[in-house]
Amino acid sequence: MGGMNFAFHCREKPRPTGKKVAVIGAGPAGLAAAGCLVCQGHEVHVYDKLPEPGGLMLFGIPEFRIPIYRVREGCERLEKAFGVKYFPRTKVCFGNPKENGDEFVEREIDFEEIVRNYDAVLIATGTWNAYVPTIPGSDLEGVFPALEYLFRIKSAKLGYMDWSKVPPVEGKKVIVIGAGHTAVDAALESVNLGAEKVYLSYRRTIHEAPAGAYEINLLQQRGVKWLERTMPVKIIGENERVRAIELVKTRLSEPDETGRRRPVPIEGSNFQIDVDYVVCAVGQMPTPPFSKETGIALDRKGRIVVDSRHMTSREGVFAAGDVVLGPSKVGKAVKDGLYAAESIHYWLMEVKE
Amino acid sequence: MRKVLHVDYSLCIGCETCQGVCEFIHHGKPNIRVYYTVTGIPIPITCRHCEKAPCIEVCPAGAIFRDHDGAVIINPNKCIGCMMCLAVCPFGVPTFDVKLKAMTKCDMCADRRQLGMPPACSEMCPAEAIFFGKPEEVEEEIRRRTAEKIARERISKVSLEGVGKLI
Repeated sequence: MGGMNFAFHCREKPRPTGKKVAVIGAGPAGLAAAGCLVCQGHEVHVYDKLPEPGGLMLFGIPEFRIPIYRVREGCERLEKAFGVKYFPRTKVCFGNPKENGDEFVEREIDFEEIVRNYDAVLIATGTWNAYVPTIPGSDLEGVFPALEYLFRIKSAKLGYMDWSKVPPVEGKKVIVIGAGHTAVDAALESVNLGAEKVYLSYRRTIHEAPAGAYEINLLQQRGVKWLERTMPVKIIGENERVRAIELVKTRLSEPDETGRRRPVPIEGSNFQIDVDYVVCAVGQMPTPPFSKETGIALDRKGRIVVDSRHMTSREGVFAAGDVVLGPSKVGKAVKDGLYAAESIHYWLMEVKE
Repeated sequence: MRKVLHVDYSLCIGCETCQGVCEFIHHGKPNIRVYYTVTGIPIPITCRHCEKAPCIEVCPAGAIFRDHDGAVIINPNKCIGCMMCLAVCPFGVPTFDVKLKAMTKCDMCADRRQLGMPPACSEMCPAEAIFFGKPEEVEEEIRRRTAEKIARERISKVSLEGVGKLI
């Protein structure tokens, strides 16, 4: 029935207020905020490092969960009917290191320049720093963070990347580490790409799996081998390439601070499996558009600290979505973006809440 | 004109966008909520605006009515807060609003419909799991999506056998 309607608040573009807002990051939080802001009459410019707006909804989450046209047509409507201006392949940065999804960047803009040129700035850059556990062999060819693995598959499907850059898992053995939604998606995409064997390793049991027992059972029905209570110890290579992985069995001990029982490796229970690819879905870190001192506070986990108005420690600079929340989900990012946009509007128009 | 707001559980990906959007436009109180069941399957719970609505029939105050689009709506001025609507609702939808001292629930975005805009949840669902429109249009759309899903499953089965890539 068409695309998402990010500007669902209004039927048409209202009279302009003359205020200009820059949104950095065209994912669910940034787009929801952009839709809300244009409906208040503000001019909105959206910057994103990817070739097309949509963020992880387009470049991460598989098509069988979120249809491509749903995001694509939604972004087009925001542009054509509401005058949102996109700056794709443009990375806003200030001394920050490389992160996942940088392949398509053609232009770089200094974060300070953005702050100077707009009345308000919203940072919604998400969590594009996926890590791989630091175990021996994690630098071998054939080891991928799940985010990058899914990103390459989606980029190829969207026509931005050649299929030769997608790990050729057809007829190969793949092990995915983790049991969250990203892990499940990486395993399913591996099956869809024709992998000969797909393993899923998780250090706790199916009952603790963040993706839920149902998703894990579905995977098993589709032939994925579920290896619960296992942890990777080392990745074994041959000629700089992955050849096998060594796992250790775990047992669950006392609950940790999250209330889940802590997995403890069982000594001497190590075993090896022959694999060609190791895909790690064990978490992502926030990627704010700066690393140098900008007067914007980050917490211990690298998330941007905001007040109840979604404003960072710098006046006029707001933040929303996963870069504030940590890895969450589309709806939480959308909601955060909406509330941030409302705050930005109040702040710009000097409305007292 | 009869309209339906249909939430398709098999298409829902549990992202909670509907809940977030609904909460935002209803001052912090969403009328659609996603529940994670013990199986791990997310189920969004919201009013289905039943054709033979038990809540309309049971309400002793006659506070529940159907509007011109077919939306089942509670009139807070008539509601006596007895919760009988909640007791008979097959989906446990009506909520007692302590401030309003009345039952509330989804009104299919009555304010928005008056302006010719569809309910916000259906506008924003990324998975297109929430449909709004005339029953025949919604049904047609659901069948189209289901056909796509069946086709996709057939393709991936083929690729499971190592024949080719799913594009």
